[in-house]
Amino acid sequence: MDGHDAAALGLVFFPAFDWAISPSHPEREERLLYTRDQIVEEGLLDVGGIREYKPQLAKWLDLQRVHIGVPDIATLITDAHRVSAGGAITAAEAVMRREVSRAFALVRPPGHHAMRVVHGTRGFCTVNIEAVMVEYLRRHWGIRRVAIVDTDVHHGDGTQDIFYHDPDTLFISFHQDGRTLYPGSGAVSELGGPAALAATVNLPLPPGTGDQGLHAVLDQLILPMLEDFQPDIVINSAGQDNHYSDPLANMSVTAQGYARLAEKLRADIAVLEGGYSIEDALPYVNVGIILAMAGMDYSRVVEPDIERCPRQGAEQTIYVERLIRQWREIWSNRETMRREARAKAGDFWRRQRRIYYDDSGIDEVQRETVRICPQCHGYMTIDTQAETSFKQTTAFAAILPRESCPACRRAATDAAGAARKSGDYQHVYVQDKDGDSLEEI
Amino acid sequence: MWLGIDVGGTFTDAVIITGGKLVAVAKTPTTLDLLTGILNALDEVLTKVDAAAIRRVALSTTLVTNTLVEGRNDPVALLLMPGPGLDMTPLSPVTPWLLSGYVDHRGRETAPPRRGEVEIACRQLPADGVVAVAGKFSVRNPLPEATVAGWVRELAAPRHISLGSEMSGGLNFPRRMNSAYFNASVWRAYGRFASVMEEGLHQRKIKADVHILKGDGGTMPLAVAARMPVETIFTGPAASVLGIMALQTPVGDAISLDIGGTTTDIALWRNGLPLLAAAGARIQGFPTAVRSYWLRSVGIGGDSYVRRDGERLLVGPQRRGPAMAVGGEDPTVTDALRVTEAITYGDAAKARRAMAQVALPGQSLRATAEEILTVAIGEICRNIGDMMVEEAAAPVYRVEDIIHPVKFAPASLLGVGGGAPGLAPRVAASLAVACHTPRSAQVANAIGAAVARPTTQVTLRADTVQKCYVVPELGLRRELPNTHMSADAAWELAAKYLQERAGREGIAEAPGAVPWETERVLDEEFNVVRGFRTMGKIMTCRLQVKPGVLTAVNGGEGI
Repeated sequence: MDGHDAAALGLVFFPAFDWAISPSHPEREERLLYTRDQIVEEGLLDVGGIREYKPQLAKWLDLQRVHIGVPDIATLITDAHRVSAGGAITAAEAVMRREVSRAFALVRPPGHHAMRVVHGTRGFCTVNIEAVMVEYLRRHWGIRRVAIVDTDVHHGDGTQDIFYHDPDTLFISFHQDGRTLYPGSGAVSELGGPAALAATVNLPLPPGTGDQGLHAVLDQLILPMLEDFQPDIVINSAGQDNHYSDPLANMSVTAQGYARLAEKLRADIAVLEGGYSIEDALPYVNVGIILAMAGMDYSRVVEPDIERCPRQGAEQTIYVERLIRQWREIWSNRETMRREARAKAGDFWRRQRRIYYDDSGIDEVQRETVRICPQCHGYMTIDTQAETSFKQTTAFAAILPRESCPACRRAATDAAGAARKSGDYQHVYVQDKDGDSLEEI
Repeated sequence: MWLGIDVGGTFTDAVIITGGKLVAVAKTPTTLDLLTGILNALDEVLTKVDAAAIRRVALSTTLVTNTLVEGRNDPVALLLMPGPGLDMTPLSPVTPWLLSGYVDHRGRETAPPRRGEVEIACRQLPADGVVAVAGKFSVRNPLPEATVAGWVRELAAPRHISLGSEMSGGLNFPRRMNSAYFNASVWRAYGRFASVMEEGLHQRKIKADVHILKGDGGTMPLAVAARMPVETIFTGPAASVLGIMALQTPVGDAISLDIGGTTTDIALWRNGLPLLAAAGARIQGFPTAVRSYWLRSVGIGGDSYVRRDGERLLVGPQRRGPAMAVGGEDPTVTDALRVTEAITYGDAAKARRAMAQVALPGQSLRATAEEILTVAIGEICRNIGDMMVEEAAAPVYRVEDIIHPVKFAPASLLGVGGGAPGLAPRVAASLAVACHTPRSAQVANAIGAAVARPTTQVTLRADTVQKCYVVPELGLRRELPNTHMSADAAWELAAKYLQERAGREGIAEAPGAVPWETERVLDEEFNVVRGFRTMGKIMTCRLQVKPGVLTAVNGGEGI
């Protein structure tokens, strides 16, 4: 290993200064302007331990390895999404090639609300850039066990959806409790499919939680869980909207809190997610994370208005302690729970959900069926109906997971064929992870 | 009539140019004190023309570099307002005084500087000292730096104070800090040089304007250089590039090679102008905001020492002396060129003897020479390739620039310097581009200095929400009457301040002179939206007098 020559941190900085969802949307040209100003003014791009990278353009196949776009992903996204996803891939490659010890894709637009099936944009996300990166790493670098720690204030429901049945992906999300914030999901009870139970870890925190509560959860749950899971790689979905100044949420985390988190987590790759306090939080939080990931002193990175930051109350502290106890219990019983869940599900596990696309104004009803297979992870079928005020779209997808058994492969293809023949669907897809393909039949 | 002088490591050259023609050339040895050599070159060239006819003298000198290398620079009291962020102490060239006071990214003063702290620092200042003051985001609000400088002037009366915001209108606090530090540090040495230089010209009855070349290829009057001496560092490469521009301006994208005895300097050109180093030059390893061309120096030149390590042929980077063909003792690249008849000067028999020393058993002398040239050219081409890869990998911040990148596609190669006639055509052939080796290339640097245009720039940043704009290079911050300002109005204002700065620096357009061309070097415009309402705009307009040559120069023959 040529670790001596490697820079401490690879930084893929892509503020997309010419792209917005709409002119006054939080995802607009201005979002990373002040962050750019702070990074350049601090001279971070001249620091020997930090190497800047230009993002690559993600290929269509890279996106389709994760997403089933209806009617297809190309009509749903802009070039910016391919650059953002490509930026995450560039960060991952810099780490895998050992050019850098770790990397931060400070890119936009974000992705953690984008699910496997995509009808449009929800929670500012259309392409799940972390998931695209993870599946790229699996395909091209032979990575198997992946841990994703989502530190955005909103529940990473898209990432959860994509890896819900994958026991090789540990998805941990802490977020402001879904009863008080978009997208509403992320309760402790969302534990993953029967084959992957407790590989989805939701840690809903009460509004007002600050550095203290966040670090309690990190020290007492997240870090020990990572230690147990032994991932090949740790990814941080580095949203920054737990900051006390964020206009869309109600938490009390500081730049120091985020930087210390980055230092303890030691993620191999961090990818920016949300964070919309573009002037008062992002410049400081990003500089803090960059310095922490590069192993540099971040102790002087303090917001000029730090006096505004409310202290975490006793109520929040008690709530967080209870949550930690609850999750320790689940975590220690996870093997038993997984066995019981598989037994209870029988041959097939099913669920039906409504998914709302706030940015596109689409209502989706999705029926998901997973084969509980003794030989493999089991194939999955998705029946989806998306409605806007003026049109309805129907689609069916059969998904063959990695290392699927011949019986599941056959059953999945048959299910797709039957759906096609039934004439009930406008689109029928087969996504084959081993064949690395997505086909509309 | 323009007089150009270039102080090189070995020779000090002087040229006289009139009507686009090179009419006189002088080559004298560079002296330890630089000035004697300059005046010798001047005297030699003045034997051929009338001193009274000279309209401008322009000089490219290594004075600043020499001052630093020889340690004749002054100690500097460095006063910083770093605010929250990086710990600046380990990044500074000297232990700085850390002061309170902070300006945020929007230029808002979130903490004022404190006079008491400046008083403490001033008590430690030596009499007759020099000071540099730099604050984070001073380009967004230069007033706190000016306040601190005012207190220092009042309390300690130093000989000179350099301000970070004067050094550059661009973001990057450590670079502005280092620029201000080095500027203050060489200020005294440069001032001495300037006054002796002026005296020397006065004695020779030259009443012309005296200009000094900058690293970015522009010139500035001597009086301005005396305030901003750090800008005159690394002018050798700038002079070379300007010389190429005068002798043969490339069209479109191109590569230039300045092939000397020991090294080859490579530059990439886009639309007739060489590319600048992205953020500024490094001085003694410290990143600064000093603008300079982006060059790569390769250890291959005409005198590169050629030998074998076992069967492996090695070329350079050492130089042991001149080519054997011209009386040297060791084989060189020039000897290989002589044997292949790429050049016709030097003793062919001695060159063959050089080849015989490195030939493998049974290898012909011609084949040996070819092998040497293949290695030398391969090394140059590999470095050109690396630069092109680096250029393509330079980060961009807009989707458009990723989707439709403007690829660097050179169509020609320009070679100057002693080794160019022999080596440049082969490099061009291996890159499959056209080759030009303009004449008089041996004094290209002095020609470059003679015809370089004066340049300056300003950065205007308007924040209409805060109803103000700043021009950091001029140290000013002004209120706007309301929140409405168009981009056109901002650019008009930038043009006005560019005129003002040019006037102040004595380079405003003179009647009858070759007209200026201005160039927009940075153009940003962002809507500021708060709570789904557009509150105003942030616009950044950087405008410069475009560097270039006052006239193309016909090198002619026989000089």
